[in-house]
Amino acid sequence: MSYLPKTPSTRHRSRSEAKTPLTPSLAVGLNSLSLATPSKADVSFANPFAASRPSSPAKRSASGSIQVSESLQRQASTGVIRKGGVESRLDVVTRDYVPPKSEKKRSKSQPSRDTRDRFITTRDPADDVAATLDLMSLNPQSASPGHTARLAAATGVPLNRRVLSYHEPPPPSASDPLLAQAREYARPLYARPGALPTSTSTATTGAKGRKISTQPERVLDAPGMVDDFYLNLVSWSCLNIVGVALAENTYLWRADSGEVVQLGEAPEGSYISSVEFSNDGLFLGVGVGTGAVELWDAESQTKLRTMSGHSSQVACLSWYQHILTSGCADGSIWHHDVRVARHKVGELIGHQGEVCGLKWRSDGELLASGGNDNVVNVWDGRIGDVAPGTRSAARWTKRNHTAAVKAVAWCPWQPSLLASGGGTSDATVHIWNTTTGARLHSLPTPSQVTSIQWSPHKKEFMTTHGYPTNAIMVHAYPSMERVAEIRDAHDSRVLWSAIGPAGDVVVTGAGDENLKFWRIWEVPKVRKSKESKDSSGRTGSTKSDILRIR
Amino acid sequence: MPTKQAPTRQAITLKGSTNLVTEFFKYAANTILFQRGVYPADDFHMVKKYGQTVLVTQDLALENYLDKILKQVNKWLLTGSVTQLVLAIISKDSRTSLERWVFDINLVEQPSGESEAAPAKPEAEIQAEIRNILKQIVSTVTFLPVIDEPTVFNILAYTSESADVPADEWVDTDPLAIEAGKSQQVKLRSFSTDVHRIEAMVAYRYDG
Repeated sequence: MSYLPKTPSTRHRSRSEAKTPLTPSLAVGLNSLSLATPSKADVSFANPFAASRPSSPAKRSASGSIQVSESLQRQASTGVIRKGGVESRLDVVTRDYVPPKSEKKRSKSQPSRDTRDRFITTRDPADDVAATLDLMSLNPQSASPGHTARLAAATGVPLNRRVLSYHEPPPPSASDPLLAQAREYARPLYARPGALPTSTSTATTGAKGRKISTQPERVLDAPGMVDDFYLNLVSWSCLNIVGVALAENTYLWRADSGEVVQLGEAPEGSYISSVEFSNDGLFLGVGVGTGAVELWDAESQTKLRTMSGHSSQVACLSWYQHILTSGCADGSIWHHDVRVARHKVGELIGHQGEVCGLKWRSDGELLASGGNDNVVNVWDGRIGDVAPGTRSAARWTKRNHTAAVKAVAWCPWQPSLLASGGGTSDATVHIWNTTTGARLHSLPTPSQVTSIQWSPHKKEFMTTHGYPTNAIMVHAYPSMERVAEIRDAHDSRVLWSAIGPAGDVVVTGAGDENLKFWRIWEVPKVRKSKESKDSSGRTGSTKSDILRIR
Repeated sequence: MPTKQAPTRQAITLKGSTNLVTEFFKYAANTILFQRGVYPADDFHMVKKYGQTVLVTQDLALENYLDKILKQVNKWLLTGSVTQLVLAIISKDSRTSLERWVFDINLVEQPSGESEAAPAKPEAEIQAEIRNILKQIVSTVTFLPVIDEPTVFNILAYTSESADVPADEWVDTDPLAIEAGKSQQVKLRSFSTDVHRIEAMVAYRYDG
């Protein structure tokens, strides 16, 4: 067969760059003759082509250039099947490759001769040629058909085999783009460390784990409690009174007696957005959705004054002595001196988004604030030095969080420590040294951090979390190890927490309209610690006796 | 499929063996689709099968699709006209085949005449073999190249010429082969019933 390409080569080279000779096509033909069973299909394929192009055999014979085809024709004349096989092959080629350009070119020199083509490489395999080849179980795409046929013959694989696939493609993976998007959003919730669905509603104990009760000590119904991340609706005073805001009403629950008192209502058409007891427990600051800050006497249940001025909802409050500091949805933080008529004694501008976390350090030197702009600010607590209205800048600003910072808490036993926790897309607790501004520790958590409480007695802190774990977690400091976890503490995200005056019980509030009291920490030496506080100046082992005598 | 009457008979009869093989393909295909990340992992849920947990899709469309294919494969197995099943994993964008999971189906030569003489293979043994294949599929993740592009899959059935092909449901197709120079092949374990012998192999594109 090696002489085959030579015969037409002179012509072919001149008019086309594709030099692939006739060999494969004829190889296919010959292989089909030798390997394939003589099938009627070949004949049936041959006929339509012959009908569509009746002139082609005539041309071929007229040209007389292709000796093989003629010899084959002679051979073919002896048997119908052979004739059909070879001719169909050649006819297919002929019919397939008829580029009009080349025809025009050729028409001048060789008018009717060479419409036939032998260049297999250039033809479209998806055409009806492919069907013919498929009948032979040859694949035109993966390799040259001749090669496949030879390979098949050599390896002894039966050629009369079909490769079939189902007529429709497999369904796309995430057919619903919305669902795929939802998955994308939900992934970070589950892809976090500790988000394993292993332990549900059980206290998982880490290496230094400690068993805490997974059942609340007490559950109070709180109908109408607003499920809003940005509000702060629970406060627990040092006089053991829990203040809670349910929609537009404020209630006081005396933990000693279990007595419930309605303190008051928000102005018509508004709602309570925050409550906060003063440090002595006698007064309750109430932030209202309109932007007013009210001052209530917790003992007599009377409203003492209303301090207006904020333009929108006051979502967080914090007290230091007579200063009530309020964070507003417009990002401003105001200091109100509750004793004086011109109550606004300071304004701190530093947040671009709503202020949602605000805490005075117990000594009043520093004020920490977290905002919806993912920023943690620490402000100098000194107020009198600057004239009212002067905008003081934050002592330092931290932008490590990637979501709203609602949870901020000062460490009671190491004044320089500040813990802050980010929202859903952040879910990380950062511990800061506020003296240097350094980030000491970071703790990724399974879900949004809604509040942080430090234990006054142990080197631990507690975090409350939102969807999907709805958990209360206790972490050790400084190892940051998880000490305990209460999964699904509430049916909905745990939004607020407040620690009792004894430092052992924590109350949590959530969107499921429940207040739950959890005994997180033991206070093993309550008397001793209290006494040591009282007798702060004294030393010696007999101090308790002394106290008792007095 | 597992009926209460004599489970060991399953492997002996052609029908029982066919069902066993078909079921194996279902779990093998699911395992591959999960392990190779063709479908998102959260589409799958765990099912106890062959004494281990197997991840099976819960995407209804995919389930139906596999069912339709396996139903036909089952028919072909009964007539003995299918010789190979291939699960090809194809790049969604470039349409090049990245992996081909090949399952050769061989008919076990039955000793003519007194076939009772050969002791029937216990079901437990077959299940253990199947379990080993599935485990091996899972373990191939360790050496298969990481696929970081969206993929689709296709199931090819190599049938004999004479196979009964339901018209316009199954079509002749390209074998989606990987070029010989770029292909690496790893033979996996095999399992056999008294009628069928399934040999598994994975070929993957490796441009190294």
